[in-house]
This record gives sequence, C-alpha cells and structure tokens, in this order.
Amino acid sequence: MADTTVDTTPTAPRRVVVTGTGAIASVGNTAADVWDAIRNGRSGIAPITRFDAEGYKTTFAGEVKGFDPVAELGRKEHRRLDRFSQFAIVVAREAIAQSGLDIAADPTRVGVLIGTGMGGMEIFEQGVETVLTQGPRRLTPFFVPMMLPNMASGNVSIDTGAKGPNFATISACASSAHAIGEAARMIQAGLIDAAIAGGTEAPITRLGIAGFNAMDALSTRNDDPVAASRPFDGGRDGFVLAEGAAALVLEDRDHAIARGAEILGELIGYATTDDAYHMVQPGPDGEGLARAMTIALESAGIAPSDVDYINAHGTSTQLNEKNETLAYKTVFGEHAYKVAISSTKSMTGHLLGAAGALEAVITLAALREGVLPPTINQTEPDPECDLDYIPNVAREAEAKIAMSNSMGFGGHNATLILARADVR
Amino acid sequence: MSTQRPTSDRTRRVVVTGVGAISAVGATATATWEGVRDGRTGIRTITRFDPTGFETTFAAEIPDFDPTIVGKKEHRRMDRYTQFATVSARAAVEQSGLDISADPTRVGVVLATAMAGIETFENTVDTLITRGPRRVSPFAVPMVIPNIAPGMVAIDLGAKGPNFAYSSAFAGSANAIGEAARMITDGLVDAMIAGGAEAPITRTGVAGFSAMGALSTRNDDPQHAIRPFDRTRDGCILGEGGAVLVLEDRDHAITRGATILAELVGYGSTADAFHLVALPDDGEGLVRAMRIALEDADLRPEQIGYLNAHGTSTEMNDRVETGAIREVFGEHAPAIPVSSTKASTGHLLGAAGAMEAIITIAAIAEGVVPPTLNHHEPEPGVDLDYVPNVARAAEVTYAMSNSMGFGGHNAVLIFAKSDR
Repeated sequence: MADTTVDTTPTAPRRVVVTGTGAIASVGNTAADVWDAIRNGRSGIAPITRFDAEGYKTTFAGEVKGFDPVAELGRKEHRRLDRFSQFAIVVAREAIAQSGLDIAADPTRVGVLIGTGMGGMEIFEQGVETVLTQGPRRLTPFFVPMMLPNMASGNVSIDTGAKGPNFATISACASSAHAIGEAARMIQAGLIDAAIAGGTEAPITRLGIAGFNAMDALSTRNDDPVAASRPFDGGRDGFVLAEGAAALVLEDRDHAIARGAEILGELIGYATTDDAYHMVQPGPDGEGLARAMTIALESAGIAPSDVDYINAHGTSTQLNEKNETLAYKTVFGEHAYKVAISSTKSMTGHLLGAAGALEAVITLAALREGVLPPTINQTEPDPECDLDYIPNVAREAEAKIAMSNSMGFGGHNATLILARADVR
Repeated sequence: MSTQRPTSDRTRRVVVTGVGAISAVGATATATWEGVRDGRTGIRTITRFDPTGFETTFAAEIPDFDPTIVGKKEHRRMDRYTQFATVSARAAVEQSGLDISADPTRVGVVLATAMAGIETFENTVDTLITRGPRRVSPFAVPMVIPNIAPGMVAIDLGAKGPNFAYSSAFAGSANAIGEAARMITDGLVDAMIAGGAEAPITRTGVAGFSAMGALSTRNDDPQHAIRPFDRTRDGCILGEGGAVLVLEDRDHAITRGATILAELVGYGSTADAFHLVALPDDGEGLVRAMRIALEDADLRPEQIGYLNAHGTSTEMNDRVETGAIREVFGEHAPAIPVSSTKASTGHLLGAAGAMEAIITIAAIAEGVVPPTLNHHEPEPGVDLDYVPNVARAAEVTYAMSNSMGFGGHNAVLIFAKSDR
C-alpha cells in the first residue's frame, strides 16, 4: 500500500507525545484525584453497591463513587449509553480539555481508539433477561447500540467530533494498552495528527462477578476488601474486579509544539505479542511478555537499564505475579533487582480493558512528579516474587523512563514505554 | 519507536495468499463464492432456537455445522463464533501453505466480531437468573469475550505475533484486514491471519436487531427477503460464519513460492461522528474513507472495476451508500458494477467485511462480478448498476469493498489483481 497520504520525504520520524489525560476509577473521578489517591496509597475497594451481591463468592469490588451520569451526560443521553460508554465520554472530555486540542479545527485528523474487555455488559445482561423472561418483543431498540464494544469509541467521536480512524482494540485486560500503542502508530505513520486513546470498563454486574468467581480468579477476602488486592504478596488470592476509564490525548510532537501545548510525556516504545499457549493461563516463564518488553525496548532504542520504573500488570493472582517476575528477570537480568516495580491495581482494582490506559495515566504522573507509586498490602513476602515492588509507601525518585505492562486472557501481551517530556 | 515506524520501509507490499470461509451459502471459501456467484442464498427459517413469537423468523444459518471438527474436547470450550474463526483460519493458512512454525513470532492474528460469544452469554445469564451465581461455568467469561477468537486461533496455529480483536461493529473485519496490512508494511510482521467471525443467530441477537426495525420481516418468503438497493427492501437479515485471509509481505510470499491470490493496495478508515446508528445524509464518512483508500492505492476512481457494497437492504444504508458512491465516482459511477452479496450470505456483522473481501478477491481472480439478488424494482436516486440477479463476466483489475458500522465507523479496502 503505497501510502500517498504520508509525507515520504526522509525527515526525522514523527514522535508521539501525550498532551492530555483523563481518568475515573474507584479511587477518584479525575486523573488528578486518581493520582492523589495512588501516591498516598489509598484503596478504592469496597463492598458492592451496583447490585445485591449476597450469595456471591465475592461481595466487594472497585466501584466508581459519586458518579452522576445525568449531570455529566444529560437526562436523555445518559439512558442511551451503557455505563462503559458513559465513563469513556467523561474521561475523553477531561483529556481533551487538558490538552487544549481544538478538534473542530481539523476533525478528520483526529482518531479515537477506546479499548474495552467486556463492552456494554450491564445492558447485555438486562437485555438477555428481558428476552428470556418477558419475550423478544419487549427488548429496547437501544440494546444493540448500547452493548456493542465499539460504542465507546463511536460515542466519543460523536461527542467530540473527531472524524479520523475509529474503532476499539480488544485483547481482554491488555485492550487499552493496545489502543494507545496502535493510535501512536497511526500518528507516526502520518495518518492522523492526534488521537484520543484509552479504555473503559463497567464489569461490576452479576455476570461479571459470577463469571470471574467461577474461574476462581477473584479474591474472596470479603471481610477485608481494602486488603484484598495484594499483588506480589505471599497472601494474594485473586484480583479485585473494578470499573472506570482512562484516556490520553496522543499527538504528533511537532503538532503539539506548534500549537503551544504542554507536553506531559512521550510514548517512546510499544510492542505487542501473543503467548499462543493457553486460553486463560499466561505462557510458561512469561515468554510472551518478555518478548513484548524486549521488542518495546528495541523500538524505543534504549537498554533495559535505562528503565527507572515499571508499572506492572500485577493482578494479585498466584500465577500472574510468578510469571511476570520471571519475565522481568529474563529481560532485565541484574537490573531486575534494581528497577522499581509496582502494581497500582493494589489500590484501583483490576479495570480489565481500561487497566492499561489507567496505568499509563498513573505512570505519566509518576514521571512528572518524581514519585513512584506503591504496591499496597505488602505484608508477607513470596520467595518467588523477590524484586522491589515499592511496598506500601510511595517513593520520591528521579525517574525519566518508565514501562507499563498489560496482559490479557487469550495470551495477549502489550508493553508501553513512556519518557518524561524533557528526556529526549 | 523506530522498529514500529512505517516510514522505515514503504516498499513492502501486501498480498493475499490464502482465504478461508464458512457461511450459510457454503462450508468453504470456494463453496461460498460459487453460491454467491450463482445466485444462491443461504437464508432459511431459523433452527438455532424456536423463533415462534419473533418478528423475524429467518436468518442465514449454517446448516449441519459439526463443531467437533475444531477438536472433540476443544469445541466445548469455544462459543460458536470462535469455532467459525478456527475453521476459517485453518482453511486460509492451509491454502496459503504458510509454515507458521518456521518463524512464529513474525505471524500475528487479528480478528473482528461484533456480538462475540452472544450464545454463551445468553446461556450464562439464563443459568444466573434461574440457578444462581455459583452455577456459572468457569468457561463463561473466556468463551464470551471478543478477543478469544484471535487468542484461540493463535493457540491452534502457533502464531505468536501481534494479537487482538478489532471492534467497529460491522466494519470490524475490514478494519482488521486494513490494520493487519499496515503491520506488514511497517515491517512488524511478515504475515497476518486477519478476518472476522460472527454467530449472532440467537434469541437476543434477533430480538435486538428486530427492536431497531433493522431486520426484514418477510417471513413468508425468506429467499426473496433481502433486496439490496431495491425499492421494496425492508431490512437486513442476520448471517453467521467466519472469513479469514492470510496477508503476507509480497517478497516473503514470492520467496517461498506461494500462489498470490490478489494484492491489497488501499485502505481507508474514518468516523462519521454523527449518530449512534444513523448515517449522515451525504455519507460524508464513507465518501472520505473511499477517497483515502483510493489515494492510498494511488488510483483514480474510474480504475475501480467492481465495488462490493455494504448494501444492507435497509432504506437508509442503500440510499446513503449510493449517494456516497456517486459523490466519489462522479460521472463514472453508473459505469461501475456495484453489488451487495448480503442477499446470499446474510449480514455477517463483524465478519461481513472479511467475507466480502474474499468474494471480491474471487471476483477479480475469476473475472466474474457477483450479482445483487432480488433486485427488480429500481428506486429513484438509487440507480447504479447493481448487477441485478445474475453474475456477469468482467475483467476486473481493481475492486473496492465498503463496510460501515453502528457508531459511525467506515472502512474501505481495495484489492488488485496480482501482477504475477
């Protein structure tokens, strides 16, 4: 495909920077509030209120608090949006406002990629229940357009007016890392000048909890929800399901500089691989993740020892952290014991398809503020997880380059590498 | 991100070396093509569930599919949509002769779906509300999720490169193919398994599209229900199946002596940013996607010899799409054969773009453009050459395939006859 839309003159490659972030999660309803909670080690995990969880093996989750969809989206509009689309619109607006990007100036040059793991799960569940109990003719005409996983991306484009490439990338819990990486590739290729990229998830429904419970994937520490998500800790017993969204405005660096935008950081590396091993288990020794990290380092043109901080996938499951730790040792060698690693899922819970984007937002804040967020609930060391996981308390540290890892059921791995704005 | 930089190697070209499909018209890509070409339809009364009481009681169902062909044990752990993906991907790779194990990290898998594991989802909700949360299967989540098709295909075939699902409703697999091609031109991979799969013929699937008024209700005459571009059209019909292409770096394919079926020369992807499900009257987003694809292919509109339309047989789609084609092709629009093959296959939703890509490639290879079935009554303003009812011999060098999806997604692919 001879791409004539691209300037093929041999100039310096286009660089991709971040000019805006937005987030909503169990720990806060804006990117700033999320970061404030994370750096202070506050957990957002609490008993479930979205439905009556009595009789469920797990009765707690990372719910967003105080979210008013009517105020945010309007009385009529909010009814036509599943919660996952509502979150996506809110974080996209926040990210665009921070970036100052004027989409209307050139709408066809701005794309939207919002990943999700489950799509409109709540409406899906309600719709099926209606069909099964009340018959097919009682189903709302908004069922299909509310449940489709691409509707977060579609709705963000409708809300913001962005007319460039638009779709969702889906890779379970790596979805939004893929969205960010693929959006960056489009900017580099010159197909667009900016993109709204991220992820969203609203999985705290009966089926969400029951489904992951059936897999024994969730923590059942019902008597102490705040202590339930304990990645890398010896006492970990599963992840904590959570909801929320995060979006980044990614932009061609020259474009951002020309319009005088503040640059929050630069995306300098991305890679994606697959284990091709098992439906839900990670590949042996974290081979696929190790390969993703290695390719991402190559794409960034840096050595493993250049990485100052890693935001781990760290779900708080036995298998994940064992494999992830092995992958770090494979890729980083001796440096694996020196690099600071943390899993902020210990506080936010696991946002599935939104996790990668939320953790990218957190990682950018860590680089900007020189504060590395902790992994909370570290009380009992696991001999197989013997790296520096920044236990319990945030650490002030000069960090220039950071990596964020994501993995998903199906064997998907995605690695992003971010640099502080002044590094390159 | 230097190794990710497309500008590093703009000389790589992307060819198709294998296709695999299963649809209501045929259990293979060849059988599907022959059915479409010869004007057969796979539309019949629904047997997947009892459609009594539903507004629409027919669909393009695959008859006699034996799921055990994906594996005696494995098929139980796959929703029907992943079974279709597996069958299609195996067939495509077999035809291509690609030895994935020779360099597994250089072969990726990207597939699309709109409804994903809807049958499993439905059964699981049934279990949940009738028997309680603790009776839900541990396979429910992994069977339902939209990315498990590419995940399972990677396991089945051993492909370890980039892997995820694309979701843009009914443009999904066209996006998957176009984006997979960019990964090859960027040098990230040497080959990609790209396409889509869909199994939406369930109670909720049919009820959901019926509630929108999107489906034809011509229950007394399913064979003639879908009438793209015809004045009497009254909606679409759901189809199920899978369609997968092996895309490959042209030099890679030539070096290993592969047969090249066609070349992918253009791709455009846009958003309407307009409405949840409606199209803007001027089809602006589709117009722009066609133009970007033509520019990408470095072609003038009149060089397109065949256009496989999105053509869903809904009032809005066929009118707006016709206008968009007129806008892009201008005075040449009436001279270009345009057909919608959805009257044969039904609407495969997330798999439609890939299915129609395979049909488009076959049309180029055989020099036959497939017909639009059930096309008898023209409508003022919807008046292009829709290749009514009967296939036509035509030398086609370049062909375009359009896809659009709820949410305002547009994706356009252009294939060329192989120059080897």
